[in-house]
Amino acid sequence: MVETVHATFQVYRFTPGVDSSPRYVSYEFDLPPHTPVLSALLKIRQEIDPTLAMRYSCRSSICGSCAMVINSKSRLACQTQIGPELARHGRIVIDPMRNQPVARDLIVDQKPFWHDYERIDPHLIADPAHPMPEGQPNPMTPEQVDRFYETPRCIACGACYSACPAKEADPEFPGPMALAKLYRFVVDPRDGATRERLLKIQPGGLWTCLRCHLCTAACPKDVRPSERIRDLKELAIAAQGVTEAGSRHAVAFKENIYERGLLNEGKLARQTLGLAGTAAQLPQAMRILRKKPELLKSPPKIEGLAEVRKIYEMLEDEERSG
Amino acid sequence: MRRHDVVVVGAGLAGQRAALAAAQAGRDVAIVSKLHPLRSHSGAAQGGINAAVGAEDSVDTHIYDTVKGSDYLGDQDAIEFFCREAGSIVVEMEHFGTIFSRGADGSLARRAFGGAGFPRTIYAADRTGLALLQAIYEHLGTETITVYEEWDLVQLIVRDGRAQGIVAFDRKHGTFEEIAARAIVIATGPAGRVYSRTTNAHSCTGDGLAIAYRAGAWLKDMEFVQFHPTALLESGILITEGARGEGGILKNVNGDRFMTKYAPHVMDLASRDVVSRAITTEIAEGRGFPGEYVHLELMHLGKEKIESRLQEICDFSRNFAGVDPVNEPIPVRPGQHYMMGGISTNIRGETSIAGLYSAGEAACVSIHGANRLGGNSLLETLVFGKQAGIAAAEYALTAALPSITADDLSAAERPVRAMQAKKDGVEPLALRSEIQSVMDRWVGIYRNPADLGKAWDALADLRRRSSELRIIDQTSSYSVNLGEALETQHILDLAEVIVAGAIARTESRGAHARVDFPKRDDANWMKHTIAAFRPEGPQLSYAPVAYTRWDPKERVY
Repeated sequence: MVETVHATFQVYRFTPGVDSSPRYVSYEFDLPPHTPVLSALLKIRQEIDPTLAMRYSCRSSICGSCAMVINSKSRLACQTQIGPELARHGRIVIDPMRNQPVARDLIVDQKPFWHDYERIDPHLIADPAHPMPEGQPNPMTPEQVDRFYETPRCIACGACYSACPAKEADPEFPGPMALAKLYRFVVDPRDGATRERLLKIQPGGLWTCLRCHLCTAACPKDVRPSERIRDLKELAIAAQGVTEAGSRHAVAFKENIYERGLLNEGKLARQTLGLAGTAAQLPQAMRILRKKPELLKSPPKIEGLAEVRKIYEMLEDEERSG
Repeated sequence: MRRHDVVVVGAGLAGQRAALAAAQAGRDVAIVSKLHPLRSHSGAAQGGINAAVGAEDSVDTHIYDTVKGSDYLGDQDAIEFFCREAGSIVVEMEHFGTIFSRGADGSLARRAFGGAGFPRTIYAADRTGLALLQAIYEHLGTETITVYEEWDLVQLIVRDGRAQGIVAFDRKHGTFEEIAARAIVIATGPAGRVYSRTTNAHSCTGDGLAIAYRAGAWLKDMEFVQFHPTALLESGILITEGARGEGGILKNVNGDRFMTKYAPHVMDLASRDVVSRAITTEIAEGRGFPGEYVHLELMHLGKEKIESRLQEICDFSRNFAGVDPVNEPIPVRPGQHYMMGGISTNIRGETSIAGLYSAGEAACVSIHGANRLGGNSLLETLVFGKQAGIAAAEYALTAALPSITADDLSAAERPVRAMQAKKDGVEPLALRSEIQSVMDRWVGIYRNPADLGKAWDALADLRRRSSELRIIDQTSSYSVNLGEALETQHILDLAEVIVAGAIARTESRGAHARVDFPKRDDANWMKHTIAAFRPEGPQLSYAPVAYTRWDPKERVY
């Protein structure tokens, strides 16, 4: 006899244009704890309600069809077992992915997601200086391969896109998946447009990332989009220098902390936006200063500053030694 | 009305390669697919793609291995063409951007695979299908192609002896749509969901095969169903042959490496049919683990090798079986994996209907014959996808404008709407489960006439009940229920063809193992089974096997 647990599912149901508002429908089963959420949803479809709309195909975390929000986390239904979810939350609440409009029930319209993917020119761009060797594969050193060997693990499920607060705040931000894909082309030795790609993505693209790493936490395939975005930022500075508000902000941040161990908000704004840019932000700055007048003063140097600087030295050493 | 020169149905590797070839020939091309192209089941292929490149290997050895692996049912002229194309097809995919695994010298890495005389399987870790699918999709993005995404094929319009267009169901809008086409390529992949114990995705329901069959195209060799030796217990998820290629070994409940008995020379890397039968025999004779499975051991390969070359396998084992292959054996048993049969084509992808082409697992050229070798299916999708695209583009150049009418649309829509109008009846998923259990129980690895007879009768009963199929979902947008009703009808048609072919073929060859006829019978059965649709059931006839240089021999591994 297989051990079972009692599982309560609360599933988001909504057909735009038909239902006046979304609702949650409860389903209850006794199931083995290792049952994937996808299997439970298919059981609902087969035994209770065939009208539950959802996408599914491979059931093995390789097609990327069944991404949804399970107990507030964006993940694959096929890869999520009910046991741990029930142990932590007592029930399983299932919603459609975020940052994409709901088409019906658990199905979202992925058009914005694919549109953002297209924006990064997701194909190799020939390098006239290095034509492909005729009839032969391009040679690659193990170091070159290592830089992007794992990037094809991305299954374009959209979990990272759903989890991304920067995407939610700024529709212009392409989102983690597209940027991770961009990284794949930027470091590909066969690609001839590395520099152009980096220049193109910087305004409104790269630097909007909040570095919250929710994409990396959500990714079912360990693609680590936030780390790839960090890599792209370094490559962008290397390619173009510190020319963007975003990169200036990063450098100013680094200098601020080195100097005092704390941020000097006023200086940070001037370094990031320049004098004119800062002036344009004055009304907002005044509002903030009324609440926090202490921000006007340069912060004091913190006590453990020497140790903070040691961290800088260690990181620089590490970078030098590769 | 929508009109294109070439309509490709299915957007896996074969479909996308066909679309690319037709677009490069200057035709106006559209893809119709029930999944987003990147969600196609090609992406689930793990182990690799065969190509005899380099001085040590030879194309002739690849040809011989494939002929032998096919148990001499593969067409030798087609196999020769196939193996010769391999090197350039792989290089082309590398140029499109595929991120392959590499050797220390930067060359494409190769691993050993079952039934191969040389380690010639080029790979991208254990996600070769995914890496190839991404690269072809990226490259296809540089061409102008219309993609009808999340559209189900419903009907193929054949008139005046020629394919004229299709009717499809637009899932998003819930509408039936017609597309006229000068040429059509069916690349809808396999019908693995005829079984429930399968490595195939839920979406692998043979839509294009069944619809082409109903429209008059011939199916070939459908009784040859490959069972992969190592599907994960319970979920049936594929554990790549590459795991054994890297040195993994199979053990029974007594801890014995039982393949030494069944294939003394190559052991765990014998051909798939041989290994699957060995596991089934071990389990049947009481040497399986309780719950009917055996162990696949990788532990001796070491953590680093396992985690770098078999990364997906690690994830699958950990997530879906709760087992860490670095420290413990993986519980596996055979599961349906591949259909050697399909829509009958030649090497240009031409079918028995003018203007209709097919490629990939939906098609049967035949290069796999009675048993496919690992690493040959990814290669097949690309080699013959390209050929079908080229041939369809050529045909479309001179073909007259297609003629389809509003009646074609309503004739396709009416029966589906009738299922929606029913007040009660049979649920599609319930009927599908019944078809699958018939096939799981009686049409598996070893076949006997009594079981096949039971399957035939049970399917006849299910055929009667299929007239009561009902679609509850009345919502126009994203009626998954409607799609499942269509798919259920497809797998019923195909299950019948598989069983009919299996009953008729009184020999054992490759994946078709009849316990009452345990030997291969070249005098009577070295021929392809051809199935044609008739309202009363499949009509079988036979076609000769093309033969060039290799005389049939007994297969020993």
